[in-house]
Order: sequence, then structure tokens, then C-alpha cells
Amino acid sequence: MLQRYIDHFGAWAVVGTILLTVTFLIAPIIVSILMSFDARSYLGRFPPTEFSFHWYARFFSDSYYLTGLKTSLIIAVIAASVSTCAGVCAAIVLDRYDFPGKQALETIFLSPLVIPAVVIGFSLLLFFALIGVFQGYPRLLAGHIIITFPYAVRTTLAGLTGIRKNLTEAAMTLGANERQAFWDVTFPLARTGMVAGAVFAFAFSMDDVAVSLFLTSPQTYTLPVAMVSMMRTNFDLTIAAASVILMLFTIGLIIILDVIVGLERVIGGGVYRS
Amino acid sequence: MKLSRGAILLLVPGVGILLAFLVLPLANVVEESFRLFEPGRIGAAKDAPYTFFNYAELINFTYLYYFVETARIGFIASIVGLILGFPIAYVIARRFTPMWRKIGVGFLIGIMFLSTLVRVYALQLTFGPTGIAKFLTGLLGVSMNGRFYTELVVILGLLHYLVPIAAITLLGTIQNVNPRLTEAAQALGAPRWMAHFTITIPLCVPGLLSAFLISFTLCLSAFVVPMILGKGKVLFVSNLIYSRFSEIANYPSGSAISIIMLILSLMIIYGVTYLVTTRWIKH
Repeated sequence: MLQRYIDHFGAWAVVGTILLTVTFLIAPIIVSILMSFDARSYLGRFPPTEFSFHWYARFFSDSYYLTGLKTSLIIAVIAASVSTCAGVCAAIVLDRYDFPGKQALETIFLSPLVIPAVVIGFSLLLFFALIGVFQGYPRLLAGHIIITFPYAVRTTLAGLTGIRKNLTEAAMTLGANERQAFWDVTFPLARTGMVAGAVFAFAFSMDDVAVSLFLTSPQTYTLPVAMVSMMRTNFDLTIAAASVILMLFTIGLIIILDVIVGLERVIGGGVYRS
Repeated sequence: MKLSRGAILLLVPGVGILLAFLVLPLANVVEESFRLFEPGRIGAAKDAPYTFFNYAELINFTYLYYFVETARIGFIASIVGLILGFPIAYVIARRFTPMWRKIGVGFLIGIMFLSTLVRVYALQLTFGPTGIAKFLTGLLGVSMNGRFYTELVVILGLLHYLVPIAAITLLGTIQNVNPRLTEAAQALGAPRWMAHFTITIPLCVPGLLSAFLISFTLCLSAFVVPMILGKGKVLFVSNLIYSRFSEIANYPSGSAISIIMLILSLMIIYGVTYLVTTRWIKH
């Protein structure tokens, strides 16, 4: 009897914990969305009593944010393209060739993932000071390329290893040379992984704060850096409006990921699904 | 295939990027960390003498405190993240229909992908003076500007991304545990809670360990969460490095802290990963 009570109580406790956790994950996002439409002209208490778009108007008329957004987009597009190209090249070699030190090379290629971002930012700051580069764009680009490169390598590699080797062999048996087999068989099949890598790279570049904070110059700063300095000095809700705009970016990226890869594939199938 | 000349050409861009933007800068940090710093300068002089002072200084209590605090808060957040993430992963893997599973996974990925700043600002609005801070601090009987509440908000900030990461990592693990085993335990008379604690959870140990590792390393290098939500009261090692750059321009000391932090995180990641894979996963 007691056991049954424990089971009963346990089940309710688990359901309660899950509901509480999900509320904790969603509620802050809803709060910030609602606050971004607050009609009050100051940062008041939640909930807002009337709604308006005036914080969005402020965001889109504030050149500080707009410059940041423009820089972020330029940096993210260039960094994602460069890392994807370099990452795809590297992943092809890692997938198709055997050579001593291959495992070590792969670990080194992926190492920016495990090095704390602040350390990367700090080391680049010192390095560029040493070689005498002080402009924002080259420094930010370098930082964003190095933090996005491992994502490009990893997703492309995952896409390539999923392709069965005998498909390429079949193409070659049927008379294709190595180059044709690559461009006509391997490349189209690996494209999903490459695009996913580019999407990840873009997302992480848009999101970065830790590396960018070290590498900005007074004229060249990214949107997250602009938001951080506003958060520390300013108490208005333009940041909430900026947050909602960034959220729309996130949702867009997730939809793209779902269309090209499928969210289910992100977590894998598993042997025993109910 | 053997490495051909063409293949080596393909490696050039990647190796170049790593060499220029990671290896050389890190080597320079190592060099700088042994330079003597004179207060008032920006960084060390080009010909500053070499010294161990920047490292010796870190054995001081004030600096050790940052490392200990980072590890302590990170540990608490990672454990709580696992406890909260596991039931979510279990329900999504075992109780949901395929459509709900997709919605659940989409929700977790959405929360995980949320920009760090969006997350931190949302938490600040919710748990700060504009939100439920007054209510919560009244309930807990603590001061809104006190150390305890600030630390709680920092942990909540870490949890907001640790929970979805832990849940997604564990989802894969739980899907690979045979549910018949737990059912067998129940058929043999074990109550449900005991079946889960003696069968399901022990079988998930490798997954739990890797989820913990991912969470803990993310906590150790956390930067934005303590910077904004810690309000200067809760500072992590990352914030210490940043203040070395932004406040006093003591680059040699910042370099020494960076090197120590780098070695510690690499040791934890590769060391513990090695232990976990040889101990649990191979069997």
C-alpha cells in the first residue's frame, strides 16, 4: 500500500517538476516579448498596462543599434562563408584520406569548441596588438572565423561519414573518374551537412559576445556588444525590442534547420523509442 | 586513400586559419604571461624581463576564490540541470506521440539556440526588480541586492541553457535503454520508483556523465551570464580575465589567468572524457 502511495506521489512530483521547469524556460521569454510592446516610456514593472510599438520605433531609429546590426550581419555572412569553405575542404580530407596524425588533426580542428571564448578573444586581442592591427573589421572577422570553423568541420564531417563508401565505388566502377564521382555523387549527398554547418556558423557568429567584446573598435561593434553596453548603462526597453528581433532570427534558423536536416535527425533515432 | 598533393592543398585553408587565429595568438599569450607588468602601462613593455610573478600571484586567496566560486556555482547548476532535464527527456522519449515529440524537441532546440543576450535580458526582466524579485525575496526572506539572491539568479541564468542541453543529450541515451528491462523489474514486483532508480537511471549513467561534462564545461567558461546577472557580486574566471583587459590593462596577468583556465578546461574535458569512455562506454 505504502509503495503505491510513493509511486503516486512520485509521479505527481515528476509531473510537477516538469511543468515548473517548462514554465521557467518559457515565462522569461514571454515576459520580455510583452515588455517590448510596453506603451510606458520608462522601464516599469511587469505586466505592461497598455501596448504600443514605440520601443521598436526607437530601435529602428537609433543608429547605434542599426550600425551594430549591420556589422553583425556582415561579419556573420563573411565568417560563415569562410569557415564553411575551409571546413568543407578540411572535412573532405579527414573523411576520405588516411594519414598519420589524422585523429590529432581532427581534434585540433575541433579544439576552438572547447577553448573558453574569453581566452580566444583575449589571445586575439594581444596578437593583433602585436602585429599592429587595430581596425574592428579584420579583428572581429578573425575571431568569428575561428569560433565558427569547428561547427563547419563537424557538421560536414557528420554529413560525409553518413554517405556509404560503396556509392562512390559504384560510380567509379561505372566509369566515373574520382573527380566526377565526387561532384556527382558525394557532393550532392553531403550538401545537407554543409548547409547545416553554414547555418550553425551564422547563428553562433550572430550570438557571440565573449570574443567580440575584446575585438570591437569604437566604430565597429556587433549588435550583441551594443546591447551589452546598453544593458549596463541604460534602463529602457529598446533592448527588449532588440531581443525580440534576435528571437525572430533564431526561429528563422530553426525552421531552416528543420527543412534542410529535420529536427529529429539532430537528436538521432535511437533503438528503443516507444 | 593515401594523402595526395591535392588533398594537402585542401587542408591549407583550415590549417592556415587555425595557425593564424589560434595557435600563434595562444603562443603569444604564453609568452606574455611570463612578462613583468608595470602598473599604469597598457600591457607589458616589449623588452620587459621574464618573471613567474603573474602565476605566483594567482596562488593568493583572492584569486583562488574566483576559481573555486566558478567551479562551485558551475557544479550546482550542472547537477540541478541534470535533475530537471532528465524527466523532460524521459517524457519526450517514452510518453509522447511522434507529433508531440517533434514539438518537444523543437521547443528544447529553440530554447537552446536562443541568443545568450536575449536569454540573459529576459531573465533580468523576470527575476529583477521589474519582475518577481520582490515576491521571491520576500518568500525566501533574503535581500534583493544580497549575495544569495544574486547567486540564485546567476544559477537560474545558467540553468536556462543547461536544462535544454541536458535534456537533448539525455534524450539520445534514454532512447537506447530497453524499456522492457524496467517493465520486467515492475512485473517482478518492484514499485515504479524503485524500478527507475535501480534499472533506468543506472543504465543511463554514461549519458548522465556526458551531459554533466558538457554542462560543467559550459559553466566554467560562462561569461555573459555572470557579467550581466552577477551584477559585479558574482564573478567567474572569464570575468576576471575581461576585467584584466578592460579595467587595468594588465595583459600579463590576464594571460596567466587565461593559460591556467585553458589548461584546467582542457584537463577536465579530455581527462574526464577519457576516463568516462574507458570506464563505462567500452563495456
